[in-house]
Amino acid sequence: MEPINYESRIKQLEKYIRILKKKLERSEADRQRLENASELRESVLKNVIKELEESQISLEKHGEELENALTNLKSLQIKLIESEKMSALGVLVAGIAHEINNPVSFIYGNLHHAHHYFQDLLKLVELYQHYYPHPVKQIQHKIKTIEFDFIKQDSDKLFESMNIGAERICEIVKSLRTFSRLDEAEFKAVDIHQGIDSTLLILNNRLKTTQKNPQGIKIIRKYGDFPLIKCYSGQLNQAFLNIISNAIDALEETIIKETKISKLFIPTIYIYTNIFDKNWLEIRIVDNGLGMNNQVRSQLFNPFFTTKEIGKGIGLGLSICYQTIVELHGGKLDCYSEPGKGTEFVIQIPLRQSEVN
Amino acid sequence: MLKVVISHSEDPDSQSAIEEILDQCTRDLEGMVPQAGILFAAIDFDHTLIVEEINRKFPGLDLIGCTTDGEISSMLGFQQDSVTLMLLYSDTVEIRIGVGYGVHDNPLLAAQQAVAQATENYKINAKLCITVPASYTADGTTTNGELILKGLKAGLGSNIPIIGGTAGDQYRFKKTYQFFRNQVLTDSLPILIFSGDILFSFGSGCGWQPIGGKSLVTKAEGTILYEINGESAMEYYHRYLGYRSPTAENPLAVYEGDSDRYYMRVPNICNLETGSINFLGNVPEQAMVRITDISRDEVIAASEMSLKIALANYPGTKVETALVFSCCCRRWLLGTRTKEEYQLVRNALPTEVTICGFYTYGEFAPLEPLGETYYHQETFVTLLLGTK
Repeated sequence: MEPINYESRIKQLEKYIRILKKKLERSEADRQRLENASELRESVLKNVIKELEESQISLEKHGEELENALTNLKSLQIKLIESEKMSALGVLVAGIAHEINNPVSFIYGNLHHAHHYFQDLLKLVELYQHYYPHPVKQIQHKIKTIEFDFIKQDSDKLFESMNIGAERICEIVKSLRTFSRLDEAEFKAVDIHQGIDSTLLILNNRLKTTQKNPQGIKIIRKYGDFPLIKCYSGQLNQAFLNIISNAIDALEETIIKETKISKLFIPTIYIYTNIFDKNWLEIRIVDNGLGMNNQVRSQLFNPFFTTKEIGKGIGLGLSICYQTIVELHGGKLDCYSEPGKGTEFVIQIPLRQSEVN
Repeated sequence: MLKVVISHSEDPDSQSAIEEILDQCTRDLEGMVPQAGILFAAIDFDHTLIVEEINRKFPGLDLIGCTTDGEISSMLGFQQDSVTLMLLYSDTVEIRIGVGYGVHDNPLLAAQQAVAQATENYKINAKLCITVPASYTADGTTTNGELILKGLKAGLGSNIPIIGGTAGDQYRFKKTYQFFRNQVLTDSLPILIFSGDILFSFGSGCGWQPIGGKSLVTKAEGTILYEINGESAMEYYHRYLGYRSPTAENPLAVYEGDSDRYYMRVPNICNLETGSINFLGNVPEQAMVRITDISRDEVIAASEMSLKIALANYPGTKVETALVFSCCCRRWLLGTRTKEEYQLVRNALPTEVTICGFYTYGEFAPLEPLGETYYHQETFVTLLLGTK
């Protein structure tokens, strides 16, 4: 057995103790450093996450802004299309009105002279009859054939009716010109009632009695007394047209669907105007049609929303009305309706408003 | 021929440690007289005793070295509180050393002194320079790595690769020491120059990754960063670190123009009054910056990349020895995985290849084989040496 070198063994053990002691010290220091480093990294990561969250919120906000911008662009596009359409329609209407106006003026202007000439000729014939009571057989035969006595009696009525007709054409032409407003500045003081009346005149054909609607659509106007109102009259007239057209559509639908009550039912559109709070003009267009439920009503002013059959409406009418009244005139447009209880559109426009742009 | 002997002791007692080291060296040298040596020692040793013992054993040995933040050798792997010595002998490779003094105040002059001494009375065709300069000096201030490099490049020529690392003091940031022959110095710049038949290659890797949003440097002057996104540099860091001051563990990734390429800038001294931070390198105004973070896997992967680059570029067939310089921040953050950095170098090299290195406060290495040398932080630098 080899002798144990105690001295060397002790030295070795002493060395191990020194190393272990040092390692322990270092280990503690390193642990603390690692803990610090870990805390630091935790802080960096937490704050980077926070930064990312902020960035996400900012992105979401940006997204919303973009969405809004897109919605605005879409609505602007609709407006632009409609404006183009309206402008084209306005030009067309104004052109037609102008073209009709000239020949109608010839007719209307000469009708009086024609009546006068005719009366003169009739008087001449009467003079002949007075001084030559027994004309030749051929003349007697002609007087009988043409029913000369009836012509004498009917000619006045004939000319009167021609006169009324010509006057009516003149009135329609005037309404078309009022409606298109091409001959007027965009933003100016106008007679709102004249605008509503011209709109009704344009829609007159749809108010008349038909086989399906033997009673026609009754219009009850209750206009308040107020001065000219500054507005974009052309666009406002378009809004009246859209709302009244919708009321007519609703009434026609009611007549078709509610056959049992059709004999008692008088389809009616009420139009009320008045000034309230001194500064607001209010126009209420009310129909006694079928009305609508809340779900439909809540979407009424959304672009492209329609309850009509395909091809009958694209759902832009009321959306454009909303833009015209709310955005262009700074007004309010509300709709009140319940199923079976008709519909009421309330247009409110501030009296003192400034021109856009 | 290049003969390299490595010894390493983890004995905290200076006398015992150096005795153990010198015994090992003498055994392994097999009668050869070493030309030069590189010594890496932990801060707590009696360094004067150690260098004197070495000098007594190998009189006139051209020794350079420094204190560290951790030591590495093929004998004991990664260690702390240890001392490791590499001795070199060659009949075909010239090894010269030099030292410059007062690096903090005049790094250019110190570099000039060091180069002049290494090449004094001797016309050499320098091929490679190894340096282990001071980082923290007596008053706790730091030297400027970039200016040291500028001085060395001026003396040696910018095409000579300069590899190494600045001295450490185990996270105390007070005073580091350098070794030159039998002297223990501070605020100095020791260099070692190889010429003759030496073959070498190198590689470097980092592993820090930018994280969070990009921000704009709105005010900076040289190495002082005043404002990011209009707020003070300190406020910017506080957003990420809470109310902690930034350290070398939190470098900024600085982006070049609009590209995705970036380089690291390490915060050094914070001015709490002005909210500015002095970085260990210039931070250009109008540059985009991001805070960085690490994952230990990426740090280890970067070390491996450094080694792979060095191996791929080695011009010979037989690597004799490897020197590694790794940033102290890597060690702090790798924790128990620090040894993996050494281990992957060990695993990739033949068993007879010796390895020596240390954890530094800043590294020197070119970014590419024929490129200029840069001063880095957070990197792992591998240098392979041989003659065949």
